[in-house]
Amino acid sequence: MSVSNALFEIDNLCKSFGDNMVLNNISTQIQKGEVVVIIGPSGSGKSTFLRSLNLLEMPTSGHISFEGMDITAKNSDINKYRQKIGMVFQHFNLFPHMTILKNLTIAPMKLLKLSKAEAEETAMALLTRVGLAEKANAYPNQLSGGQKQRIAIVRALCMKPDVILFDEPTSALDPEMVGEVLEVMKGLAKEGMTMIVVTHEMGFAREVASRVLFIDEGVIVEEERPDVIFSNPRSERLKSFLSKVLI
Amino acid sequence: MEATITQITSFIENFKLDFINNFITDNRWQYLVNGLGNTFLITLFAGIIGVVLGFLVAIIRSTADKTGKLGFLNAICKVYLTIIRGTPAMVQLLIIYYVIFDSVAIDKRLVAIISFGINSGAYVAEIVRSGIMSIDAGQTEAGRSLGFNYGQTMLYVVMPQAFKNVLPALANEFIVLLKETSICGYIGLMDLTRGGDIIRSRTFSAFMPLIAVALIYLTIVMILSSFVNRLERRLRASER
Repeated sequence: MSVSNALFEIDNLCKSFGDNMVLNNISTQIQKGEVVVIIGPSGSGKSTFLRSLNLLEMPTSGHISFEGMDITAKNSDINKYRQKIGMVFQHFNLFPHMTILKNLTIAPMKLLKLSKAEAEETAMALLTRVGLAEKANAYPNQLSGGQKQRIAIVRALCMKPDVILFDEPTSALDPEMVGEVLEVMKGLAKEGMTMIVVTHEMGFAREVASRVLFIDEGVIVEEERPDVIFSNPRSERLKSFLSKVLI
Repeated sequence: MEATITQITSFIENFKLDFINNFITDNRWQYLVNGLGNTFLITLFAGIIGVVLGFLVAIIRSTADKTGKLGFLNAICKVYLTIIRGTPAMVQLLIIYYVIFDSVAIDKRLVAIISFGINSGAYVAEIVRSGIMSIDAGQTEAGRSLGFNYGQTMLYVVMPQAFKNVLPALANEFIVLLKETSICGYIGLMDLTRGGDIIRSRTFSAFMPLIAVALIYLTIVMILSSFVNRLERRLRASER
C-alpha cells in the first residue's frame, strides 16, 4: 500500500438503489486534518457518498479504506471503525429518552469502557465549550434545534473520533440558529479535526474548507480549493449550480 | 307510606339474608378468595411468559423485516402468530389440556399458565413489533454511527423508546389477559369466575355471587389502569 497518510481512500465507489445509480465510480482521498466540503444539487448523491464512508450505505461495488484498512472487506468489523468516525445528522437524532449527559456518555461508557466519572468529565468539558453545560440534565426535546445540533456534535466528539462526517448539519435549523452551529464547526476545524461536510452553506465552504468536492449525478465533477471552485469554476454544471446558490 | 317503609325494610332484610347465605354460610367467601388467588397466579405468570415470548418474537420479526436475516425463525414466528391469533383462546386451552397434556398428571394451573402465556405472547409480539417499527430510522443510524452493533442499538436506543410507546397497549393486553382467564372453568380450574359460579350452584341465587365476581374484576382492572396511567406520566417526563 501507499505510504500516504490518507485517512480515507475511496476507490471506484459505486452505489445503486435498484436500477438507480446514485454513485458512479467515485475515487478520491481524504487526508488527516482536511476539511472537505461536499456541495452539489439535491439528489446528486452527496449524502449517499458521505453515508458510504461509515457504511450506513453499503457500497454496491468499490472499496473504502480507513486508516489503511479496507472497511468494505467482508471480514472487517465496521463497528470498530465507526467508533472512530463520528457522524452528525441533519435531524440531530439525539436519543429522546435520555438526558443530554446520558446521550453523551452512553457510547463512551459502553464502547470505550470509560468509567461514568471519566465519561461525564469529558462530556461536561465539551458541553462547557459549546456553552451548554447547564443543559446536562435536560432532555433533547427541551432544547432548540441549534442547541440539539451542538449537542449532537459533542456526542460525536465524546468518542474521540479521528474524523467527523456532517450530513447537512444546518439544513433543518431555523436561520437564526445556523450561526451557532457553524461556529462550533469552525472551532473544530481550527483545532485540526478532520471533517467531511455535506452542506449548502457556501459561506462556510469558502471560509473553512481546505477542499471542495462538487458532486453531480453521482460523480465528482470538480475537486479544488474553495477559492478556485468559487472564483474559477471550469465546468458548465458547476457554473450553473453556483449561479443558483450564490446570490 | 307505612307500606313503603315495610317494603324497604324487608328488602334490606332479604339482602342481608342473601348476603349471609351466599358468602358467610359454610365460609362460601373462600370460593371467591381462592379463585381470585388462582386468577392472579395464572394472569401474572402467563403475563410474564407472554411478555418474554412476545418480545422475542417481535425482535425476530422486526430484525427480519429490517435486515432480511433470520428468515427461518421469522417463518416460524409467522406460523405461531397466525395459529394463535386465528383460533379462540378457549379452544387453545382445551387443546392444551385435553390433547397435549392428555395423559399427564399436571396441575391445571400450570396448564392455564402455559396456554395463556402462549396466547398472550402472540398479541404482545405484534404490539411490541409495531412499537419497534414506529421508532425513526435515524435513531438506529445514530446508534450504529457511534459504533454500537445491531443488538446494542436495539437494547440502548430502540427498545426503551418502543417500550414507552407501547406501554399503554401492553397494559391493556395484561388487562385483557386477566379477564380472559375467566374461561379456566372449562378445564375445571377454580378461578374467580368459577368460584362465583360454584356459590351460585350451591345457593341457587345468581345475583349476589355473580355481581360480586364482576365487581372484583372491575376493581382490579381500575387499580391496574390507574397504575399504568401513573407510569405513563412518569415516562412522559422526557417529552415535556
